[in-house]
Amino acid sequence: MPDWAGPVARYILEEGLPGTLRVSAFAVTGSALIGIVFGTLMTVRFLPLRMVIRFYIEVFRGLPILVTVFIVYFGLPSASARLEFGPLTSATIALVLWGSAQVAEATRGAVQSIPREQHEAASALGFGWVGRHRSVILPQALRRLLPPFVSLLVNIIQNSTLAGLIGGLEILDAGERQSERLASFPPAGIGEIHAFEIFGAVAVLFFLISFPLTRLAAMLEKRLV
Amino acid sequence: MVLATYDLWAFVSENHAELLDGLLNTLKVSAFGIAGAFVIGALLGAARAHRIPVVSQITAVYVEVIRNTPILIQIFMIFYALPQFGILLNQFTVAWLSVMIWGGAFNSENFRAGFEAVPYRYREAGYALGFGRRATFLNVTLPIGGRIALPASINTYISVVKNTSLMYGIGYSELSTTALNISSLTLETLEALTVLGVVYLALVWSLSAAIRLLETRLALPESR
Repeated sequence: MPDWAGPVARYILEEGLPGTLRVSAFAVTGSALIGIVFGTLMTVRFLPLRMVIRFYIEVFRGLPILVTVFIVYFGLPSASARLEFGPLTSATIALVLWGSAQVAEATRGAVQSIPREQHEAASALGFGWVGRHRSVILPQALRRLLPPFVSLLVNIIQNSTLAGLIGGLEILDAGERQSERLASFPPAGIGEIHAFEIFGAVAVLFFLISFPLTRLAAMLEKRLV
Repeated sequence: MVLATYDLWAFVSENHAELLDGLLNTLKVSAFGIAGAFVIGALLGAARAHRIPVVSQITAVYVEVIRNTPILIQIFMIFYALPQFGILLNQFTVAWLSVMIWGGAFNSENFRAGFEAVPYRYREAGYALGFGRRATFLNVTLPIGGRIALPASINTYISVVKNTSLMYGIGYSELSTTALNISSLTLETLEALTVLGVVYLALVWSLSAAIRLLETRLALPESR
């Protein structure tokens, strides 16, 4: 291993990786919670509500995630000074907007795939709308949502790299900063270009996280369907 | 604090030349990427579905590498790392090349699934009529499997269009970079973001509408 590799690796793992993990964890949790609620509400017969959620889904699935990141990071502060967030938080919010739209669409399909008899049986047992969905419908629907959830996790981890484009410190941005540092003259750098090694290592890191998850998603898909 | 007033019309009319150039670049990169992704996807998808040795295994590795790494890293690899080996590409080339490589990987899976969904008895019927392997593929598997793969592959093309926005990361002046650069000079942030949102949604929504239209037009006779 060359001399420069140690500090670079340490910076990426100690400064970059926590950023990636934090953005991913919050974005997945937020997407799941909001997405499941929106997706379930999509099956309600009240038309205006359905139209509002449909619009939300189409907009945030249609926009490139980077544009949503720009809207949150650059747009919200110019709309109101109180809506100013840091790069990592902005990226998390944008990923939740996109991810919840994905989850909502999948949840709607899963909830509608539960036979009507299940709703009728639950109603006959005296469950109201909320209790019926919480105790009978969603537990069955969520099983079918497991494979898309794992794929969503992979997508969110990969798209957390967008935070780097607005200056948020995550794995890819950490790699970019180190690659730029090495290329500059001493004492800060060593005047050498090592972009291939650094970005290659970052790519391997992402592969090691993603590959087991995409295998898992494929396996769950086979088993649950 | 700068008191900004929202004036979308002024923003568009003052900067329409640059914005139009940006949109044109977005469309150019998208068109190259989609055409390439179609060719790569159909060829490698066919190799995978017919289990052609070596090509099939290399394709499997290519697909896994592209699917399991962020596209932004792929773009950075081509833009920042290739020059280390003396391969210096301009931003436009990096832009279409990276979305083409990305789209090709996803599309070869779409086509593989489409070709594999063609019942074997159809191909058998082709052979029985005296078609060779290639003629059977061109006359039987491709027209049927290609239609089965169509909705999924158009979804990949939509993602290709959306991914062209990532060229902001290498400073290529497509629509996103152009709009943001203008807004950083004029402080018309909300106007620039409105333009971006409206244009991308128009592009993506019209492509999705095209899926629905094509699905009914090209539906297989037996499923009609």
